[in-house]
Amino acid sequence: MGFLMDGIDAEGYDRTYSDRQLLSRIFDYFRPHLLTMAFVATMIVLDSLMSAVLPILIARGLDTIAIDGSWQRAGVLIGAILVSGALAWTFNFFRQWHTARTVGNVVLELREDAFDAVMERDMSFYDEYPTGKVVSRVTSDTQDFANVVTLTLNLISQVLLVAVIFGVLFFINTRLALIAAGIAPVIVLIALGFRRLARHTTQQARRILAEVNAKVQETVSGIGVAKAFRQEATIYHEFDAVNRQSYRTNLRQGFVFSGIFPVLNAVAGIGTALVVYFGGMSVLDGQVTPGDWFLFVESISLFWLPLTGIASFWSQFQLGMSASERVFALIDAEPRVIQLDSQPAGSLHGRIEFRNVTFSYTEQERVLHNFNLIIPAGQTVALVGHTGAGKSSLGKLVARFYEFQEGQILIDDRDIRTFDLTSYRQRLGIVPQSPFLFSGSVADNIRYAKQSADDDEVRAVASKIGGGDWLAVLETGLETDVGEEGRGISMGQRQLVALARVLIQDPAIVVLDEATASVDPLTEAQIQEGLDVVLRERTAIVIAHRLSTIKAADRIIVLRKGEIIEEGDHDALMAQGGHYAELYNTYFRHQSPDYDPVAVGMREAVAATVQTF
Amino acid sequence: MFLFVDSEAIVTTQTMPLRREFSVEGEHRYDRRGPVRWVLSHMLRYKGFLFSFFIASTVTAALFSAVPALTGRAFNEVLKPAPDARQLLFIGLAMLGIVVVRGGMDIVNAFSIETLAQRTERDARQELYISLLGKSQTFHNRQRVGDIMARASNDVRQLNPMLNPGIALLTDSLMSILMPLIFISFIHVQLLAAPLVFLAIFAVLLRDYTRRLNPVAAEIRGRFGDLNAGLNETISGIEVVKAAAQEAQEKRKFARHARLVRDFYVKEGQVQARYLPILFFGFALTAAFAHGLWLVQQNVIDVGQLVAYMGLMGILRFPTFISIFTFSLVQLGIAGARRILEMLDEETEMDENKAGHSADMRGDIVFDQVSFGFGRTRMLDGITFHIRPGQTVAIVGQTGAGKTTLTKLVNRIYDVNAGRILIDGVDVRDWSMAALRSQISTIEQDVFLFSRSIRENIAFGLGNKATEAAIVQAAKDAQAHDFILSFKDGYDTVIGERGVTLSGGQRQRLAIARALLTDPRILILDDSTSAIDSATEDKIQQAIHRVLEGRTTFLITHRLSMIRRADVILMLDKGRVVDSGTHADLMERNALYQRIFARYF
Repeated sequence: MGFLMDGIDAEGYDRTYSDRQLLSRIFDYFRPHLLTMAFVATMIVLDSLMSAVLPILIARGLDTIAIDGSWQRAGVLIGAILVSGALAWTFNFFRQWHTARTVGNVVLELREDAFDAVMERDMSFYDEYPTGKVVSRVTSDTQDFANVVTLTLNLISQVLLVAVIFGVLFFINTRLALIAAGIAPVIVLIALGFRRLARHTTQQARRILAEVNAKVQETVSGIGVAKAFRQEATIYHEFDAVNRQSYRTNLRQGFVFSGIFPVLNAVAGIGTALVVYFGGMSVLDGQVTPGDWFLFVESISLFWLPLTGIASFWSQFQLGMSASERVFALIDAEPRVIQLDSQPAGSLHGRIEFRNVTFSYTEQERVLHNFNLIIPAGQTVALVGHTGAGKSSLGKLVARFYEFQEGQILIDDRDIRTFDLTSYRQRLGIVPQSPFLFSGSVADNIRYAKQSADDDEVRAVASKIGGGDWLAVLETGLETDVGEEGRGISMGQRQLVALARVLIQDPAIVVLDEATASVDPLTEAQIQEGLDVVLRERTAIVIAHRLSTIKAADRIIVLRKGEIIEEGDHDALMAQGGHYAELYNTYFRHQSPDYDPVAVGMREAVAATVQTF
Repeated sequence: MFLFVDSEAIVTTQTMPLRREFSVEGEHRYDRRGPVRWVLSHMLRYKGFLFSFFIASTVTAALFSAVPALTGRAFNEVLKPAPDARQLLFIGLAMLGIVVVRGGMDIVNAFSIETLAQRTERDARQELYISLLGKSQTFHNRQRVGDIMARASNDVRQLNPMLNPGIALLTDSLMSILMPLIFISFIHVQLLAAPLVFLAIFAVLLRDYTRRLNPVAAEIRGRFGDLNAGLNETISGIEVVKAAAQEAQEKRKFARHARLVRDFYVKEGQVQARYLPILFFGFALTAAFAHGLWLVQQNVIDVGQLVAYMGLMGILRFPTFISIFTFSLVQLGIAGARRILEMLDEETEMDENKAGHSADMRGDIVFDQVSFGFGRTRMLDGITFHIRPGQTVAIVGQTGAGKTTLTKLVNRIYDVNAGRILIDGVDVRDWSMAALRSQISTIEQDVFLFSRSIRENIAFGLGNKATEAAIVQAAKDAQAHDFILSFKDGYDTVIGERGVTLSGGQRQRLAIARALLTDPRILILDDSTSAIDSATEDKIQQAIHRVLEGRTTFLITHRLSMIRRADVILMLDKGRVVDSGTHADLMERNALYQRIFARYF
């Protein structure tokens, strides 16, 4: 089935399953509902029979009066028509209802399995695959998977209907039936041809439309700027051209799609006309009764519609199959972080030791090689270095977000691989670089890692961060809604909440990836004060981006390409004039309030002048 | 071709009461008195297509009904004691002819409505766009871009399916009810009894059905949205989830959402399964057959007519099945049209004040007891200060203290509620809007750049009038020249999705160059760009420094070194100025200010 994935959707963990494997796994999900499925199948057969029986009854009725001129059986037939209509509706009712129930339950089970699978993946998985794509596998692809089943059921009922009707037609008159059978493939072929044409135009249109939509979006977003500079006419011209292009593309595509039904109707109409004519002739020859002829004409109209449905089945079925394939690939993806034991962590002191650790995210690029570092309990270590020096990798390994390839990481002299991860991480406080908040109130977010905390505890913790001043600025204090991903409050406030969230855990070890986004000076001061509280008397690994944080650390470790090349405090390292001094000049010089860019400009100008002479 | 129309002139000469800043000559006027009228007026613009659609739909339905009528005649023919084969051939040929003509009509029908639908979408988007361009800066500052985007894309696009297949199928349904009824009445008026009774019951049942289905369908959409949003949140925040060891909590949340979706999905299946019109259609067929048989027995109609009658009844199957689908499409379209109209009708509250004060600005600004708020919430309260031409004032305060709002009063994005603001001694409300705004420039936090060349972006403010030399000079002053030349195509480098992605610092410098080119007297700089490395910071600050020269500047910044060097620092807290002065003044007396610098000195 893999050939259907067009490369855009394919992910590293995708694998190809044979159709047999896929179908058997799909079947596994339906196994608990076999009885219901059997019931649904029965309903489908009965429903199809009822649909085919109606014209037969009417035809018999016509024969009764037209030929026999007998009226006694008319009443019985009318009753039969009534009953068959009611039964058809009832069968269809049970069929639809129970299909929805089964599909609903199966999709639920599949979604829960997919979600569990996602939760078990380690961070390397999330680095590789964007959120949107993972989400769509769990929510949309599972729905498409269910569609395979609904589609198959529909196909079965339509094939049955066509078969039953054809059987009836064949039974009445072979020649007429063969005429109908001759038209059938034409209809299927036309429907398939249109699908191909439609797919072709759609692909073309999609490319153009993506571009056009982006341009429309830009001209709309740009109105504000256009008005600020009084450039309305310029931007209108652009918009107008794009809008017209969008119209032309859409129209061309629309014509293809709206052409299909008229053509199919015409072909079916020609079929009907032929049957009417040849049927009439057969009646004249006495081969067919007038009632049978009517039956033919009526049945033939029931015959055409399912054919177009059958024509579109295969491609939709394939879409459903490839959706299932994507879901199963997600469920089957292998986790990389593997724990050897699950000992409870207990209360930790926080001594961290890296012993000959070798680590890489991908096979090509080695981040750490034979890395050794001991951080005594309670010490705050600031890591500095260029991007890619391995600073955040150290933090992520301590968090056990990634698997390392060689060596050992010891926490309080115990192998990190022997911990029960849940109990271990409860003793660990992690502040990510961009402070992610969940929708809900500020209080909800602070107690995220400790659901048992009551309002008083939350308030007490929040007040320790930056003296609690920041709560007064929030509209309704701790109850303020933070909005989707925290966008309802400012970036600085989000950072403060993230600090309180870690503080409430009272962790033994803190891993802090300092935010780089700039924040208004007052909030910045509060964050710095909050950091003092969070880091005090805990083992801390700080990936530092702020000068003041580095200066406050117990120990600065300078990393280059995964190796420790210098360590000490700020003044000593500056005096050395080594890599640290270079880093300072690259990243931290401008953070000093004494910084004067104009003076820098002058220096550069002077230097340039000196060089020219 | 383009006119910047005087607002007064519009009020007097045109029926539309809205003040507008922009209009296009020869613009079509649509009826905006209600969403339905508005959609109709869009369709009526193309009377030809509307007419051909309508005619084709009628003829198609009539020809559909003609087939059973002919079948009936054929039936009679074969029942005759001496049937005429030529007559039968004639009927067969007639049917073939009908089929061919019907096919042609069907295509005319489909293409007409398709064209109409696409044009309506195009025209509505154009109408909305022109209207947006005509609205004031105030409107655009207040309106969220996301909101406008939703209307310009989703709501406008929804008009298309509303027409085709929505209105198209609705018309076809009506016609395929009407035409069989007419043909039946020609067979015998009495035969109308069964279909008419059925249609009455059908209408009631359909209303009942949509009333039960709509809330369930809305629940499914809502719950599915929750499921998606919830999962999206969990995965976006997976680092926090794992770090806090809260996988179990997230699983409970997901299971709760997924179960709700399942429950409503099953509920929907149940409601759909219980679609009663089909049952009643079965009853109607039975009644019609019984009625027809009875009339045959009474010799009122012949067997051929009964056959025709049953065939015509069969046509009613189509509207019975398709109706639900069409109604919901039309409903969605009308709702979208209503939202578009709301935006079209949005009033602009400030006038251009053409006759107002107009002069070259020096940049002397006085705030005199200024208060401002939205509704009951007061955002600024009794603000008083004086800035002299060329001074730089840094506004310091927490998020929500009112910093940005304060600057928006200067160029009249908002008007004060109490007090007054004087520029060069003249109240801003007495300035001509054009003179006021053209001499005040704002560089916002989120810099918007167009996906086109760097040159065009810098020159944007002057349209096509900017010379190459002026553009390069502006770029040099904004410290952007060097990084621009570092790109392969230099000033012709296209930025945005299809081109080069710029860093925050680079975007900001382009915005500065763009503003420098128009040479404003007063500059409002909302600067939150963070530079990761000192070299970039050097460039940004040098650019800002260059911009400040000789202009009165409001500076909202996070950069301590820039705050330090401002001529005046305003300390804002909860909408009040709590202190003001130079860095030295404030370091000496203000505890809050000292706290900012506490870790550095």
